[in-house]
Amino acid sequence: MVERIEDLNLPNAVIARLIKEALPEGSNVSKEARAAIAKAASVFAIFITSSSTALAHKQNHRTITAKDILQTLNELDFESFVPSLTQDLEVYRKMVRDKKESKAKKDSSAGDAIASSSSAATAAENEDAN
Amino acid sequence: MASEDLFQNDYSEEPDLGQDFDKGDEMNIDAAEHGAEEVEQAIEQTNIPSSANVDPPASTTTEQAKTSNANKTSEHEHDAKLTQLPMARIRNIMKLDPDLQIASNEAVFAVTKAVELFIESLAREAFTYTAQAKKKTVQKRDVDLAISAVDSLMFLDGALNF
Repeated sequence: MVERIEDLNLPNAVIARLIKEALPEGSNVSKEARAAIAKAASVFAIFITSSSTALAHKQNHRTITAKDILQTLNELDFESFVPSLTQDLEVYRKMVRDKKESKAKKDSSAGDAIASSSSAATAAENEDAN
Repeated sequence: MASEDLFQNDYSEEPDLGQDFDKGDEMNIDAAEHGAEEVEQAIEQTNIPSSANVDPPASTTTEQAKTSNANKTSEHEHDAKLTQLPMARIRNIMKLDPDLQIASNEAVFAVTKAVELFIESLAREAFTYTAQAKKKTVQKRDVDLAISAVDSLMFLDGALNF
């Protein structure tokens, strides 16, 4: 649960970096403008969440998924975000999959006597760490 | 061709590094994201040799040095990740919606990325008004103008005035 209201603010430094990346070199952003963009970003997050929730409920889904988010973005005229988001999601899924695989490998190599010395060493190290 | 071999080495080494990282680190969200970053970089690297083949050997070595430098920075940057904004923070914001029961991790990731794109596009939109006024610094006025000019930003109308 959120304990402090500041926990809902997006980190200023990241906002500033994202804005800077979007603008041509040599341009600046005033403090007030940055605060406004940050606030708009939070409102945007709530806005697409509630629209996606409504969409998921309409389909009798309890969990909102990435698909709901993409569909919501399409409906709310943010379809320009969708292609790049779809790509990012692929990378994210691959990352999650790789993480699972390497974890499975770790588990099996820990009990495997024929495991190569290097991976056995890391597994042992890992057990020490635990 | 020697240079290509070196690149091949880099390429095959990287996933191992990522795995070792995973094995050693139980807080493996960061580690795995780090791994993914490396895979991405490895993909980028595979593209390089094709251009390196055409280049004279001298420039190949500099390019090689550059990429190995890039490798080092990514190894040291533990918070090299797919998102710039913290997903946990975005999840907290999403939880403000009383109707939200469960959001999948992928959904949180998608919202995080969407918010990043949103920030960039709002900044770009606002800057058009800054440029029109022949200024270099984006003011709040420019953000307000952008919001009232773009239809899809209607939802922000009045949300920023408190």
